[in-house]
Amino acid sequence: MNTSKVPLHNSKHHNIGLGRNSSLLDVDRVSKRFGGIQALNDVTFSIEQGSIISMIGPNGAGKSTFINVVTGIYAPDIGQVCFQGQDITRLPAHAIAYLGIGRTFQLEELFPSLTVLENAMVGCHTRSRCGMFSSGLRLPSAKTEEQRIREEAMENLTMIGLEHKASDSISSLPLGERKLVGIARALGIQPKFLMLDEPAGGLAAHEIEKLVKVIDILVNKGLTLFIVEHNMPFVMSVSQRVIVLDGGQKIVEGTPHEVKANERVIKAYLGEEV
Amino acid sequence: MKASNKFQVYIPWMILVAIVIFLPVIISSSYMISIMAFVALYGVLAIGMGILMGQAGLFSLVQPTWFGFGAYIAGILAARGLVPPGIGIIVSAVFVALIAYIIGAPILRLRGLYLACATFGILIIAQISFVQLGELTGGHSGLLGIPPLTIGGFVFKSDLHYYFLSWALCICCLMFCSNVINSRVGRAIRASHDSETASSSLGVNIPKYRLQIFILTSVMASLAGSVFCFYLRFAAPSIFGFHLLVELMLMAVIGGVGNVWGPLLGSFIITWLQEILRAYLGHFFPVMTGEVTAVFFGVFIILVLIYMPRGLVGWVEQIFRLGRRIYEHIKSSVAQ
Repeated sequence: MNTSKVPLHNSKHHNIGLGRNSSLLDVDRVSKRFGGIQALNDVTFSIEQGSIISMIGPNGAGKSTFINVVTGIYAPDIGQVCFQGQDITRLPAHAIAYLGIGRTFQLEELFPSLTVLENAMVGCHTRSRCGMFSSGLRLPSAKTEEQRIREEAMENLTMIGLEHKASDSISSLPLGERKLVGIARALGIQPKFLMLDEPAGGLAAHEIEKLVKVIDILVNKGLTLFIVEHNMPFVMSVSQRVIVLDGGQKIVEGTPHEVKANERVIKAYLGEEV
Repeated sequence: MKASNKFQVYIPWMILVAIVIFLPVIISSSYMISIMAFVALYGVLAIGMGILMGQAGLFSLVQPTWFGFGAYIAGILAARGLVPPGIGIIVSAVFVALIAYIIGAPILRLRGLYLACATFGILIIAQISFVQLGELTGGHSGLLGIPPLTIGGFVFKSDLHYYFLSWALCICCLMFCSNVINSRVGRAIRASHDSETASSSLGVNIPKYRLQIFILTSVMASLAGSVFCFYLRFAAPSIFGFHLLVELMLMAVIGGVGNVWGPLLGSFIITWLQEILRAYLGHFFPVMTGEVTAVFFGVFIILVLIYMPRGLVGWVEQIFRLGRRIYEHIKSSVAQ
């Protein structure tokens, strides 16, 4: 995989990391407890630049919690998360977005009061800087920036093939397209690392085909992907490595082949069919 | 297509400016001109209220307090001859921005009704302070001796002068707000109203933008308050209390908070309705005009919320959208 294509837009940070055997994200003994539930228990692994990792596991295994911990929505009780060698464990969510970690949501979490294009434009927030004064007075700097954001958001919509629905409202889109808009929105931050939370959940076969195409484009761009998913054929076809979570613990990590054959996985999750 | 779109954006503004300029030509009654000046000033407050409630999702109830601060500070400075009235307006706006920052930074971390409770408390505290700081504010009897506004040698003295000043302020505020709402900052604010998790995962620093919008609306209210006190040449604690708050809520909800224009329309409707009711209800209910007015507004707002939950402007938008859909349907069926 050609990693040199990854856009290094945060020049402030890109020289800090990349040292330790090219791992992009290091998760070190992370635990998170909600009351009586141990959502994550001593999870450790690292993700290499340019790889596609999937995380699977039964409902309540802690997969979404894991994404929330990495993206700063929750702070872990114990453990450390490093992105490009920089400790991001206690950073707020918006600061983590500025470092280049993008994500989508299991339940889309789009902004229904904004149009499709505006949703994608919010995604470009980290790479624009106009404040209230310049935009309130419509200074030339605000106008040119607005134009640039609009074009970039449009490009992202074109990539997912929804440019013709730019001015539609979110509620008029079918589920599959809403999931894609979530991806286009996250691409606005030009992420180095993109976490997709159940991108294929609830999608029909033809919608999944479209999704796989979009993921192919992202992979060709050299993006590092982390996918949480229940759809087994989908997971097995796109990922290079699979991590299996059960009861908040990492039980197996390996290639799709190894995972498929692993007895603990079969017992925990896949049932006797596979 | 693009050029005509660009032009279309300016049409409502041109209509508004034309109405403001030509209204005094058509109506000569100074009473009506003065009510229209109040429509503009209350409009500025209601626009702020609409942005806070509708776009940012912040139930902040302190708008009347900023209005009062603007009026009292500018009024006191001018009445005591400390600074020229024009400078006083700016001083009070800066002061209000500072107070809004100090209060807003901690208080905006509250959500929903908790924020409403806390801001309502501040409203009450401020109103009591206006009464208790009698030596400074004139207490219950109000602040007297405010000179007319003078800017660069021009003395604003007639109703017409204040009419134009109020509308100039109102249109500037409306334009600024409309620009902000349709900008990067406005999108971030609207997005964080829809989903805090999603917007912060895209890099939106929610507390920062909430504070900014809170300060913006407070400064707008303060400017309106300053003009208000120079116009009335008077300020009293009872003006800046619960009653004004209810009126502003009515304006925002009836006009519609989904659009910056809604609250201005609401201000027009409520201010005039109140004048009309005051003039005519007296004949039928000479003893309890106030109570009947309150009941009337209560019924009015219930009806609006049932039949036009997005306010008048939202309702008009809906009709336009329906009309366009019918038009396109007919066009496509004719083409076939």
